Amino acid sequence: MSTLALQHYLAVGGIMFVIGLIGFITRRNLIVMFLCTELMFQAVAINLIAFSRFVGNLAGQTFVIFLLVIAAAEASLALGLVVLLFRQKNTLDADAWRELKG
Amino acid sequence: MLGIQSTSLPPMPLLLADGAVIAPLAILVLCVVAGVGTILLLPSRRQPGQRKLGGALLLAAGLILAALLVKTAAGQDVSGTGPYFWIFSAIALAGAMRVITHPRPVYSALYFVLTVFASAGLFVLMYAEFMAAALVLIYAGAILVTYVFVIMLAASAQSQSQTALGGGLAGLTECDVVSREPLVAACIGFALMGVLLFLIFDKAGQIAPPPSPAAVPAAAVAAPDAESIHGSTQALGAYLFTDQLVNLELAGLILTVAMVGAIIIARRRVPSVEDAFEPSSETITAALTPLSDDPHSIPVYGTTNPAQKAFPET
Repeated sequence: MSTLALQHYLAVGGIMFVIGLIGFITRRNLIVMFLCTELMFQAVAINLIAFSRFVGNLAGQTFVIFLLVIAAAEASLALGLVVLLFRQKNTLDADAWRELKG
Repeated sequence: MLGIQSTSLPPMPLLLADGAVIAPLAILVLCVVAGVGTILLLPSRRQPGQRKLGGALLLAAGLILAALLVKTAAGQDVSGTGPYFWIFSAIALAGAMRVITHPRPVYSALYFVLTVFASAGLFVLMYAEFMAAALVLIYAGAILVTYVFVIMLAASAQSQSQTALGGGLAGLTECDVVSREPLVAACIGFALMGVLLFLIFDKAGQIAPPPSPAAVPAAAVAAPDAESIHGSTQALGAYLFTDQLVNLELAGLILTVAMVGAIIIARRRVPSVEDAFEPSSETITAALTPLSDDPHSIPVYGTTNPAQKAFPET
């Protein structure tokens, strides 16, 4: 019996998710915004592994493998788009694309 | 078969569900304090002293939360992993906070690497060694390197458009220094955090309990600890390549498609030699027609040579 319960890991994951969310809203640099989404991915991965350990099977860990796959795909595509946007306006400021609001 | 039971591990307990582990009022106060600290700590044109105050507020909120959790969970630890959990989670959360508050993107990426390593430590504490290694390899090794490449590419290209800022902010653009709507973001985020913590600590009694050790076969429970030395990697591999085989192949397909898409998206169109000589329309033009003023030099129709268009009878 260890002193660490499921809730400890869930709390760490939840707090990290919220930090990533705040960063995604507040930061204006496109690259840092995508870093914050990676932070949220990380938090979800902690939660999945914690539930996998709690329930006692390996389904949660395989979920994390697929999550890593999606994160890698998302990072490559998003960075390609960021590079494309950067070439258009020569700035990484997300506010430079304000006209996309329509 | 839903997963392979790794029964050689000790079950992870649920925190006691009788009464509130942390009072809802305490969660509310902690979230408000942490929200104020986050607003002060987010990058803006404030004085450095105010940012230090924000950092101190956040640190205090985190320490109080940790103290409340330690107080409720004390007195059961025999495995000895408790201190490591607190160290790793403190590093992970502090690194995450620095990711979103550091004005320089390169430092944000490096603090994210720190967070990844601390999360890998947490994974090891939860007996997910393969996932810890994969996390370090993929995130810290592959994804973050890509991020740092793009950051440096952009930083070298936009260095001429930087604003004149004094102090430690020299060389930064305005979009890195001033954050957007810190108050609204902190309100949204910490309201969500309050709800999450309340659910985690107060409503956890409604989580379905894990399969009790009596439910699994006695032989599996009585298995020696040799498997726990090897960890769950072998079982994970068997599970991936038997039950999740189709999903694994789909993951590979997604990666391939993403790679092709990224190449096509990020490709810069270079004017090549073949493009220069390519005919622009279906009309066959004589590419090698000399642009001479003599209309009788080479009689060719359909050319863009104005001297020849003037004398179509040739």
